[in-house]
Amino acid sequence: MADAAFIEAFDDAVEGGLDWLDDHGGGVFDAIRHALAGVYDGVEWLLLAPPFWAVAALALVAGWRVVGWRFGGLAALGLGLCAAMGLWAETMETLALVVTAMVFALLVSLPLGVLAGYVPAVKRAAEPALDLIQTLPPYLYLLPAIALLGYGPATALAATCIVALPPALRLTALGIGRTPQEFIELGQANGIRPWQMFAKIRLPFAFASIMAGVNQSLMMAFGMVVIAGIVGSGGLGETIYGAIRTLDIATSVDASVAIVVLTIVLDRLTQGLADRGARA
Amino acid sequence: MSAMAASEVLIDCQSVWKVFGDNARAALRAIADRGLSKTEVLQEFSCVVGVSDASIQVRRGEIFCVMGLSGSGKSTLIRLLNRLIEPSSGRITVKGQDLSGLRGQALRDMRAKHIGMVFQSVALLPHRTVLENAAFGLEVQGVARARRLEVAREALARVGLSDWAGRLPRELSGGMQQRVGLARALAADPEIILMDEPFSALDPLIRRQLQDEFRSLTKELGKSAVFITHDLDEAIRIGDRIAIMRDGVIVQVGTAEEIVLNPADGYVADFVAGISRLHLIKAHSVMYEPAAWARARPEVDVGALPRTHPEADIDALIGMVVGSGQEGVAVVDGGRIVGVVTPRGLLQGVRGTAPADLSVV
Repeated sequence: MADAAFIEAFDDAVEGGLDWLDDHGGGVFDAIRHALAGVYDGVEWLLLAPPFWAVAALALVAGWRVVGWRFGGLAALGLGLCAAMGLWAETMETLALVVTAMVFALLVSLPLGVLAGYVPAVKRAAEPALDLIQTLPPYLYLLPAIALLGYGPATALAATCIVALPPALRLTALGIGRTPQEFIELGQANGIRPWQMFAKIRLPFAFASIMAGVNQSLMMAFGMVVIAGIVGSGGLGETIYGAIRTLDIATSVDASVAIVVLTIVLDRLTQGLADRGARA
Repeated sequence: MSAMAASEVLIDCQSVWKVFGDNARAALRAIADRGLSKTEVLQEFSCVVGVSDASIQVRRGEIFCVMGLSGSGKSTLIRLLNRLIEPSSGRITVKGQDLSGLRGQALRDMRAKHIGMVFQSVALLPHRTVLENAAFGLEVQGVARARRLEVAREALARVGLSDWAGRLPRELSGGMQQRVGLARALAADPEIILMDEPFSALDPLIRRQLQDEFRSLTKELGKSAVFITHDLDEAIRIGDRIAIMRDGVIVQVGTAEEIVLNPADGYVADFVAGISRLHLIKAHSVMYEPAAWARARPEVDVGALPRTHPEADIDALIGMVVGSGQEGVAVVDGGRIVGVVTPRGLLQGVRGTAPADLSVV
């Protein structure tokens, strides 16, 4: 069977490639691991250093200011529930994972999105890669990440970054590229400089779209950090993974509730911020 | 009119062409060599001829209207004047500077300081207040915040919107928004204002009001303007001179009176057919030569006729003829009778034709 031989050769090439990357790019991957783990440790420390009620109070104030007093109250209650279930540390670890992954994902996707919004060729080149990332099953990113970064939060973060990349990049490119023609003309007719055109015209018009992208990326990241429990990410994902292995249904439901609370709080807060920005 | 003819040319377009499309260069050559029509260029090169061999001159202090239907190339023409669109060929000079020679900062300076623009869509930034919008041009130029807001406040006062400075654009009616657009253009104090169909989207009463305000404001501030419109009534109301465009070609340039009395072709004639002549045509265009009139009507004493000046319009003349019950009105210029306007001549003027021969006086 020529086909079987070919497939075997292909598989060998993939593994050989990964090995080669590991051997020759070891320093690079060490650096990536340290960067990811370093930021993660910092965020985690920040979230776990104060007592849970301080964080819940913060959510209360933020929710009240950004969305409304009712949502602020619910957010604080929800976080209190997480603590009551004995999952406070895990919940904050998950939050730290999401925040860290988002920081790195946005560092890449926002500038690239702006570039793609300006240069159609960049957008065309990025399109297939983004399609690929969004169509492949997200589990798939865990294996090569384990091979290169080892077991632990860094692997979970790397995989989450990749999954969180496309929405923010796409919607940033869309927003920047779709500035209404009359406002481009307004800028030009006033003798605007290129950076002013970006800051004063393109960015304000793109803001709502960019924030929608950030919100979507955030939701993708939440989905992924739970899956990444398999690779020892820590946090609620790992709690759920452990509960599934021991058929501990009660714990898995508790952890799921905690994830739902965290997701809703962050989703509503970012949406609220986006709406305010769009209105201002 | 004569004073204006002598004044300086601010915008000078010489044989300007704009052909849109990938093969524009080849299309342009084919037009020059073989004289292709607009349709042939579209079929053969899939290029669209936007502006075709346009030559216009806008003088200091003048309001120059460009009138044409949609697709006539008028919006392209006005964008050539501040180089939002690059011409395919031809030469455009603004205040003595060749636009095509301006690079980077020089072009930005020209646009920021000398040419203002008002858009049909108004294009007010929705997230900024009316005052901040009015200050936009100065902000781009890097004028300090306090100073630019002060100037913008003055500009808003000029258009009667002082009380609305702190509002957002969406809180204003269409007419008020367009006033902000005008204030924004005036705030940078440019000598030339380009108006791209600014009042087209407004309802008729507001439109007339803004037309009058725009004309008096422009004259009061001593600005020059190029005003694009698809409405001949608007062009006549606002413009000192009018250019009529069709299919990218400037068919005729002249004062409203010249165009109505002597349309260059059937197209222009059709256009002006429905226009009221009452305030458009002046005594000097419909009067008879006094000596010839005296010969034709020896029984009437010319000296006894009511008198008026050469710029009196038909509406005023009709009033005089009806009120006096006389045979006609004597037109006096510099203390001398230069012509006689008769009821017959007035009727012809109302129809937009020059007076016929005297045998039928």
